[in-house]
Amino acid sequence: MKRIIIADDSTTARMFIKRCLQIIGLGDVEMIEAEHGKEALAAAKAQEVDLLLTDLNMPVMDGETLIKWVKASPKLGELPVIVITSAGNPAKEAQLLELGAHRVLNKPVSPPMMMDALADFMDD
Amino acid sequence: MTENKPLYPAMISAVSQTLENMLFLEVMEHFDRSYEIPAEELVWNSLLINDPVQGETRLAMSKTTLKKLTGNIFGIDDDEITQAQMDDILNELLNTIVGLFMTNLLADDQEYKIGLPEQGEDELPEIDENTIVWKLMTSDEDSLQIFVSGASLVTLENT
Repeated sequence: MKRIIIADDSTTARMFIKRCLQIIGLGDVEMIEAEHGKEALAAAKAQEVDLLLTDLNMPVMDGETLIKWVKASPKLGELPVIVITSAGNPAKEAQLLELGAHRVLNKPVSPPMMMDALADFMDD
Repeated sequence: MTENKPLYPAMISAVSQTLENMLFLEVMEHFDRSYEIPAEELVWNSLLINDPVQGETRLAMSKTTLKKLTGNIFGIDDDEITQAQMDDILNELLNTIVGLFMTNLLADDQEYKIGLPEQGEDELPEIDENTIVWKLMTSDEDSLQIFVSGASLVTLENT
């Protein structure tokens, strides 16, 4: 079974993301919720994970720092990261892609947006 | 509120997109421009805009409306709704609205930094000359109010 980490400090946002994943046919995937980057990083290190979906503005450890840690890790460096944020614009998106994010989605996220972003992931 | 200024359409678009995607609700201007949310029913939160302009945004609605929106989003009955869920919904709504508002307002190559939402307590702060108010209503006729304040942010209205 595939595993996806959903990192967002908002219960509502995590619920929306899970709902989108279910709608696009990923209801069988194990979804691991994290309230901030540090929790997400610990979860990613503790088990095999296929995808990380993360917000940017989070307490304790923000999404940008999380991406830097993931990309610097020999174990997690290849883990696909998709950013889902309310603080994104083309300039920020370019910066996040440079850091190693695979895609940047703007909130409020919708099933078609998620379907498009996760097409590669779903094909595997 | 002046409809030909940049802040007005940026905020209307942000609120509309947020409520349509999260709640399947349309948003329009409140038909009663003098309407105020009753003080005993008022709930609000705020979020700071830190860069490239400095300001604060507030989202206000009635407890009844917030409870209704929370029940709709989580798909649960009134008696199952917790205060934490209501707080979280209000914060996520404001967070999403402000992100879209700033994206709409600024140039594509201009980054911005916003803070984390915080719950408001007691009455809303006084409205001064550096505050813009949007009085809105959903297609279910629930009232929402948005306040944007801060001299450097409100100055964008006149650019």
